[in-house]
Amino acid sequence: MSTSAAVVARGLRRRFALEGGGVVTALDGVDLDIAAGEIVAIVGRSGAGKSTLLNLIGAIDRGYEGDLAVFGQELRRLNERELARFRNRQIGFVFQSFNLLPGLTVGDNVMLPASFGAEMPDALVRTRAHHLLDEVGLGDRFHQPPMQLSGGERQRVAIARALLLEPPLLVCDEPTGSLDTATAEQILQLFQDIRAKRGTTLVLVTHDPAVARSADRLVRLERGRIAGTSLEAP
Amino acid sequence: MKVRRLLQLTLQNLRTSRVRTLLAMVGIVVGTALLMFFLGLGQGLRERVLNRIFPVNQLELEPRSVQVFGTQQVVGQGPLDDSRVAQLTQLPGVVRAFGKRKSAFPARLWGGKELLGYNLFTEAFFDGMPVEMLRAELATFEHADAKPMGKSARCDVDLDCPAGAICVDALCQPVVWSAHWRATPAVALPCGKNDECQSGTCVEGRCALANAPPLARCLLDKTAGNGRDLEFDAERGLTARPCDAAGGWCKTAEPCPERMYCAADHPDTMLGYCEEPLPAVINPLLLEVFNTDMARSLGAVPVGSLAVLYGVRFHVAFGDSFFTKDAARPMQQYKQAQVVGFSRKAPELGVALPLAIVAHWNHRLRGEDPSGPYDAVLLETADNEAVPQVISAAESLGFSLSRKSQAARTAGAVIFFTALGLVLLALVVLAVAGVQIAQTFAMLVHERRREIAVLRAIGATGSDVAVLVLGEAALLGLLGGLAGVALAWLGAVAVDAAAQHWLANVPFLPEGFFVFPTWSAPLALGVSLVCCVLGAAVPARRASKLDPARVLAEA
Repeated sequence: MSTSAAVVARGLRRRFALEGGGVVTALDGVDLDIAAGEIVAIVGRSGAGKSTLLNLIGAIDRGYEGDLAVFGQELRRLNERELARFRNRQIGFVFQSFNLLPGLTVGDNVMLPASFGAEMPDALVRTRAHHLLDEVGLGDRFHQPPMQLSGGERQRVAIARALLLEPPLLVCDEPTGSLDTATAEQILQLFQDIRAKRGTTLVLVTHDPAVARSADRLVRLERGRIAGTSLEAP
Repeated sequence: MKVRRLLQLTLQNLRTSRVRTLLAMVGIVVGTALLMFFLGLGQGLRERVLNRIFPVNQLELEPRSVQVFGTQQVVGQGPLDDSRVAQLTQLPGVVRAFGKRKSAFPARLWGGKELLGYNLFTEAFFDGMPVEMLRAELATFEHADAKPMGKSARCDVDLDCPAGAICVDALCQPVVWSAHWRATPAVALPCGKNDECQSGTCVEGRCALANAPPLARCLLDKTAGNGRDLEFDAERGLTARPCDAAGGWCKTAEPCPERMYCAADHPDTMLGYCEEPLPAVINPLLLEVFNTDMARSLGAVPVGSLAVLYGVRFHVAFGDSFFTKDAARPMQQYKQAQVVGFSRKAPELGVALPLAIVAHWNHRLRGEDPSGPYDAVLLETADNEAVPQVISAAESLGFSLSRKSQAARTAGAVIFFTALGLVLLALVVLAVAGVQIAQTFAMLVHERRREIAVLRAIGATGSDVAVLVLGEAALLGLLGGLAGVALAWLGAVAVDAAAQHWLANVPFLPEGFFVFPTWSAPLALGVSLVCCVLGAAVPARRASKLDPARVLAEA
């Protein structure tokens, strides 16, 4: 398995036991390579296994069969604590519904990942949070509650949060799903800027053709299998 | 997880679910308040009520006795003498032990005219106590170490001087009354033989005083009226010894020196000796009984404080009784006594006199050996905790608790178990509050499962999540506990204020019913904290086990 790749999956399978008995297979033998610095969009119909694949790549689901390595780290070999630390340092998450903590200010939300495991001086964390908010155009909103921001602004805060510890991989689940077209375009441009500036790898799950078009590569899933990898529209 | 960040997240969560957490906190506040309140009440009743009546670390022991045909008969270990008192002193936990003797003779007393405007008359009972036994307590009650030494004012009599001072050489001088509590006051005690006297010398029918000149003879003034029952027989008095005889008296004798008075040899003579009044110690509870139960029916004004009783003189008739057969009149003596202090060791309805005085009159009027056995022993223990151990050891030596101490133990046990029951009730309330906390946190965890999943996604471990939930519960417990402690304190202040207002005439009413030991607030806070953390333990575990992928997929 190559260690220069961002993600390497071989024969990746994910099955879930149903409450009433029986098993459903969400992913069924997925082989996937994602190069470092690549932007990959995962598309497919609902239930095709997109989010399952994203959760596995994002290391929040480890109940898989097959092999999965992220930046050369075989995830199965990590225990629960190591996996949390891996997520903290290597992976940034961006969600469709932003998932900012409403009781914290914008700045505190951005600094949140530094609360877990990262041994970084508070002053440095704060400086970096200010810098990231400047970068996403929200430098003056540091002390505001996130509820006072628009959807696009909240998503930019979420992206700043995901970038705080400078992870080499961003996993984004429908990042523009709650945004209007113009705002979505701004977010996509931001992703491009991030990749250009930091060399960050981005894996995006989307239904949005615009998002899919902005990716370097498109991975189409059907019934848990990769039906194609191309730049054609979903 | 960093503590500062934990606190920040915890506060954020509490703010977000403000109403629900406040409601969950109600049980904790009430439970902690009840716990603290009852702890303070139990301790207060022990210290401020029971200890005022029966000092908890003092025990009165008597030789064990059994009932034989309806009478108490002492059994076992021989007379209660100094060697047995010394034996008790050696017991672990015992600080001091003193023997005491109870009066076995009839007596009555009267006095109080200075305070009440008329004399009160009563049968008298005495405890003879070693002076060392009471000295420290007398000084404490009198605040002898803080006696004012202000500018002396001119005076004619003691009443011209403020409390705590007497008139000496026409000037008010501070007086330490407890210093008058002496083993051998300058008092003429009748005797027949040397061994009847503590000094070992009987001269001219009176015990010689140790290290002091003999007392001067004197003649009572006819108008002195040394008691309403005195039928002074001037003729008999005047036919006593001639003036120039040894130890004789003179009709024209000089008046007694200051602080002394003329005490007749017996009720049927005007001839007497210049004596000091007998130093008398009374129990402070006597004043409370008088004020609350007796003053109204006697038409007297309640006595404001113990301070006004210092130095008050009253008359004692030894061998004279309202209830029983009097001693032969030549054996009787009328003397004066003076209140020199207060002690809770003194009998509640009687007077404590120096041991030698009571022993002397027990011998003179009842024929008891002056150096005979004690009637009881008073023990002082190092602390309250040592009491059960000391009782057990003393019982093995053939002693039993006096009725007074037995009553104290019973009252103490009743207070203890009542307080314990109330504290248990408070703990039940706290336990119920803990269940309420469990329910609340289970709901909160369910509501925040998405938030928890996000935290897990950005790097929180299951332990971080559990610490977050438990931290929130601990903060709730701490805040609820503080509010409960404050509520208990306010409740105690309110109850004390109400008691002072509505129960002012109840005997033995203390200034406050509550004593909060230094450990009570930390204990209440600790219990509150533990209840909350235990209540949140299961929800915290559930939160730590939450599958972030599944929760995020649900969304």
